[in-house]
Amino acid sequence: MRTGVIARKRGMTAMWDDQGARHPVTVLQLDNCQVTANIKTVRKDKSEYHAVQVAATDKRAKNTTAQMLGHFEKAGVAPKQIVKEFPVTPDAHVPVGTVLSAVHFVPGQYVDVIAKSIGKGFQGGMKRWNFKGLRASHGVSISHRSSGAMGAHQDPGRIWPGKKMPGRLGGERITTQNLKVIRVDSTLNLVFVRGCVPGVDDAHVMVQDAKKTLVFAAKHNHAKALYEKVLPKGVDDLPFPAGTAELAKDLPPVIEAPAMRTSPFIPRE
Amino acid sequence: MLTARLRALARSMSTATTSAASYPFSKAAILPTPPPAPPSLESLRKGKGLMPYLQTALPPSQKQQWLATLFSKRHPDRLVPGSVLTVTTAHAPNSFSGVLLSIRRRGPDTSFVLRNVIQRIGVEMQFFVNSPHLKDIKIVKRAGSGGGKAGRRTRRAKLFYLRNSPEKMTAIAGGIKA
Repeated sequence: MRTGVIARKRGMTAMWDDQGARHPVTVLQLDNCQVTANIKTVRKDKSEYHAVQVAATDKRAKNTTAQMLGHFEKAGVAPKQIVKEFPVTPDAHVPVGTVLSAVHFVPGQYVDVIAKSIGKGFQGGMKRWNFKGLRASHGVSISHRSSGAMGAHQDPGRIWPGKKMPGRLGGERITTQNLKVIRVDSTLNLVFVRGCVPGVDDAHVMVQDAKKTLVFAAKHNHAKALYEKVLPKGVDDLPFPAGTAELAKDLPPVIEAPAMRTSPFIPRE
Repeated sequence: MLTARLRALARSMSTATTSAASYPFSKAAILPTPPPAPPSLESLRKGKGLMPYLQTALPPSQKQQWLATLFSKRHPDRLVPGSVLTVTTAHAPNSFSGVLLSIRRRGPDTSFVLRNVIQRIGVEMQFFVNSPHLKDIKIVKRAGSGGGKAGRRTRRAKLFYLRNSPEKMTAIAGGIKA
């Protein structure tokens, strides 16, 4: 399992593939994403946890705490705004200080994107929990959007813990899974993924190989000896342990994913 | 052996698909020609002005011209809702004419809607400017031409009211052969 990357969500646009199908894409940009540590923890039952710690977006030293300044000095990188770690297998550690690049992802592969969702403030039951509210007319008085009753009567005589009620909505960590990488641009460090991604524009997002469609599918197919199905269609290899800025110099500047299917514009029998 | 050499030469000159040497991670990946180098890479790498830059860098040059002239907000030759256009596409229907109802400006995702009445059935089609299937746009009649009431510009940017008034449709597009 490889490391992930921290990127910034820059916005959305649309792209057309080689067969002429339109794909809505989100533009993610890697903002000086560097590896700051390789973590290995041995638990009480002797099992090991391995992770790669990654940091992104430079920050002024005067705005960084002394503790973090020391941590970044030990890694030999400039102070960064965000530091996150990605669990990896023991063979996937990356040298500290490596600059990760957009070529870490191969067009045609699937990724999971994790970010903090847009905050919606204090919201009622209809928006927060998809409650149906009450009727618009037929005698309903000033409770058209209310949640209705909160529980039973004397038995149990209380409200069950976890009762869905109005409260703060949004601003929480959300994972959007199985987004296809459509295009990779190494000059500007851009990764174009198909679909939408949580968070506002310019927010930091964590991008990693899709757990379900890539990692687990690969594991199961490998165990069943279906070696052609281990990677997604059209993907021959993934940069291991990571796609770095050094590797990007040897690769073409822009790579796009092919459609890998029969054209949807040809009518089927 | 000679044909093998010629084949290798042809393969190395083609830019459509990749050879294993140039991109080892995917044989089928497409290597498009990179967009023209921007004036300042530093600010773009930090994300300043990235989306406006992509608006000009992503579409191919011919579509870029259309976006800058026909679909701009202030160009003298821009398309105005109420014009009659004929659009040529790569797949069926190979040609469609209609009244321009609306232009949706979203940079590379710009699209427009044409409305026509074909065999007494109202038909609307939305065309995306950047789509590789869109081959040509011909202006049959510009809006605001002709005298009297028809000569003045429409007072709306989106002419969806034409869906409910066939008489206004015929006033704009009547007497034009498809």
